[in-house]
Amino acid sequence: MDDLAEKIVTTALGFGAKDVVGRVIVDRNYQIRFSQNEPAIANEWRKTYGQAFLNYEGRIVGGEISDLNQIPETVGRLVKIAKGSQPNPEFVGLAKGPFKYRRLASDPKVVKLMDGSEYVQAAIGGALEEGAKETAGSFWRYHEQHYLHTSNGASGSEVNAGLYLSIRAHAGPESSGHGVSCANRKLAFDPERAGHKAGRIAALAKNPKLGTPGAYDVVFDPLIAGSLIDQLGGRASAYSVAAGFSPLAGKLGKKVASNQVTLVDDATADTLGCRRFDEEGVPVRRKAIVQNGVLKTYLHNTSTAKKFKTKTTANAGLVAPSAHALILEPGDRTRDELFQDVRDGLWLTNTWYTRYQSYVAGDFSTIPRDGIFRIKDGEVAEVWKDIRLTDNLLGVWKRVKGLSKKTEQVQWWGEVHVPTMAPYALVAKVNVTRSAM
Amino acid sequence: MTEDLVDFAVEHARSKGATYAEARFEQQTNEDFVVRGGVVDALDSTESRGIGVRVLAGGSLGFTATNLLTRSDVREITERAIALARGAKRKKPVKFAQEPAVTADWSVPEARPLADVSVEERVEEIVGIDRDLVGLKYKIPGRFFTCYSNRISKYFANSEGSRIRSYSPRVRLYYHLTLIKGGDVEQCNENYGWSGGWEALEEVKARERVLEAARTAINALEHGKKSPEGKTDLVAGPQVAGIAAHESCGHPTEADRILGREASQAGKSFITPDTGSMRIGSKVVNVVDDPTMEHAIAYYQYDDEGVKARRRYLYRGGKVTEFLQNRETAAVLGTRSNGAARATNYDREAIVRMANTFVEPKDYTPEEMIKDVKHGVYMKSFMEWNIDDKRWNGKYVGREAYLIEDGEVKGPVRRTVVELTTKAFWSAIDAVGKDLELFHAGWCGKSDPGQALDAALGGPTIRLRNVYLR
Repeated sequence: MDDLAEKIVTTALGFGAKDVVGRVIVDRNYQIRFSQNEPAIANEWRKTYGQAFLNYEGRIVGGEISDLNQIPETVGRLVKIAKGSQPNPEFVGLAKGPFKYRRLASDPKVVKLMDGSEYVQAAIGGALEEGAKETAGSFWRYHEQHYLHTSNGASGSEVNAGLYLSIRAHAGPESSGHGVSCANRKLAFDPERAGHKAGRIAALAKNPKLGTPGAYDVVFDPLIAGSLIDQLGGRASAYSVAAGFSPLAGKLGKKVASNQVTLVDDATADTLGCRRFDEEGVPVRRKAIVQNGVLKTYLHNTSTAKKFKTKTTANAGLVAPSAHALILEPGDRTRDELFQDVRDGLWLTNTWYTRYQSYVAGDFSTIPRDGIFRIKDGEVAEVWKDIRLTDNLLGVWKRVKGLSKKTEQVQWWGEVHVPTMAPYALVAKVNVTRSAM
Repeated sequence: MTEDLVDFAVEHARSKGATYAEARFEQQTNEDFVVRGGVVDALDSTESRGIGVRVLAGGSLGFTATNLLTRSDVREITERAIALARGAKRKKPVKFAQEPAVTADWSVPEARPLADVSVEERVEEIVGIDRDLVGLKYKIPGRFFTCYSNRISKYFANSEGSRIRSYSPRVRLYYHLTLIKGGDVEQCNENYGWSGGWEALEEVKARERVLEAARTAINALEHGKKSPEGKTDLVAGPQVAGIAAHESCGHPTEADRILGREASQAGKSFITPDTGSMRIGSKVVNVVDDPTMEHAIAYYQYDDEGVKARRRYLYRGGKVTEFLQNRETAAVLGTRSNGAARATNYDREAIVRMANTFVEPKDYTPEEMIKDVKHGVYMKSFMEWNIDDKRWNGKYVGREAYLIEDGEVKGPVRRTVVELTTKAFWSAIDAVGKDLELFHAGWCGKSDPGQALDAALGGPTIRLRNVYLR
């Protein structure tokens, strides 16, 4: 497939384009969805396709090449389309290669896995053992090969393979918990543990009562902490900053979080987000987005870096840079110590539907789901339901009081887009609202 | 050629023992571009095509998809779909509700076919709107537009004899503006959608609406007061009525959600199979989902299981009356599909989806509704919104909103918070307008892998009495 990625580039150059990226993706992902404690459907994809990105006289065009036997025709069409577009003076080209890439080996046992049923059963069994009555979720075996070639000398390939399971357990109509397991190696994959966690939270969340609005100290479980990390890391894209979708604009070098917060993007770490290079072919590297509460950098490709007078952070996105894998550096507390610090507060385990009234101000709300627990003197005192967090993104991050020593890898549908290492986090005075009856 | 492959997949699946098989070829031709600050960031032009095969074998479902359109690849994925289904070993077999075989060929008329409209014209249209915005002389540092067009050609076949061809062109425009006045900031966005050709932007009056949004945002920055807190009347415009219908009527009546198939992702519902015809709103409330609304973004004649589309009354006279069904959920609930199965592309299974969901219009004008309000808020649009995954606790925060006093619209108010339960919202309605606007659109998210699908989110103006606002 290397040759096809290169053919995309040479073809586009032949049409008079420059700054060309050719990619070929071989997708062999496999999934089992389950609900009501049974498989609902098993899915598998067998796709091989290309992607072309090019600059024709300052006009930037990209597109998919569905049929790799038609590279000249498709690239020719893209060039024709480019001629009708308008120049983008902010595009300044691609990073200059060649580059050397680190070794990235996928687990052959993951790649060869053809049946995930036992993992699904292990997760369901774990949840039911804890007292859950009903479970639903997804098991994934990711297996994608990527081949990249650029007109600026970058060339490489990588195989991304991993295992993922997400399970939600219900012990009653309004009593639920969620667990996830993520691993690049088969031996490290523990869906049963995810099932136990989901089931344990569900069983603990029985008979919830309506929550009471107010400001509370909150312990965020890693899954919901992952959502807040996703928001902060996602808003660090230089593109989001420039387009008015981020509260981080104008805050480089300024405090955006408490001293305890160091957030890094690191595609070299062993997470589902690990990779060798970004979409310009630049070798990925670890970088601090926030260090001890201070915003250190936005995430850049070559063009956004030029606009912000810095260097690429190897986070292309050819148009919009993005995080690969987010890691909130652990703190110095145990989970139990964080709970003991809460005299009267909440423990939240998951959330969804995070939306903004103003992206630039960071004013948002999000709706906790699954177990919501009132904590008094470090212990679960009540089970709540039907609350909403209505707060400010940077305000929440500035009120972080403590982080756990241990982190967990999380990723979840809709809220934690980027593979994330998240600790338990204790945040002071989080604003809670509730719908009027 | 590709139709032969689709037919072959169905026949091959049956020959290998599938009790039911369907295959769907889709070709989607997208041309999307972003205009940011007057500059075309990039243009994405993609022609994706492929075949998805879904089978019922051994009482379970298997789905596979490929873009490799050879007979051997289609044979392989078909056999793999059967193996995946058989490997599931369900205790409760999946069944499909009975449906007649259908032969059909449908398409959406385009006054200006997308295929005939040049890139130059499309780009210039949006850049021109941006230019007009700049011409207003306001401080608008963030001007962001995304223009989408998609031409969707499909061929569907199943083992019961259905053969359906379709062509569905769609246009969407999203904008997001950041406006500043005196150190204060207001952001606004909207999303318009149209099934048809490039006449879309003119039909939805996109240019006028974007410019008006900027004017009203500046007006709010200059003159906006704090929105009143406490119990008062609310007149909600088409966008607000639309999002509420989508979130708290459409989603909770999705039968797959009610049956728990989406529990881990999009969630469940406050409605259960046993709740029956529960009262959820006042007697004037009818909420429908109707794929057959011509030119609405989610227009279709047959769904992705080959079932004929029709209007569904989700809430009628304030009571829950009908769920959105596909063939799988209908069989579980002992009813018939009502044609709500859709997929985003060939590589996704068709699941229960809303199409064009709206409050059924009645006979009031907005002016008549406002005239009878002593004290209240007229909320025309919103920014922040969300709802819990059982679809009971909703929140809509006003963008363009005005105070109403003694039946007259007064000055702008900012950030009106409508944070109500579903029952509180729909029970408070005493009047429904005739001003249906169905071109407000959204991306409706559901399923895993995610399927962000076109959905119309408009409606008529509605009036709510004595609701708690912040």
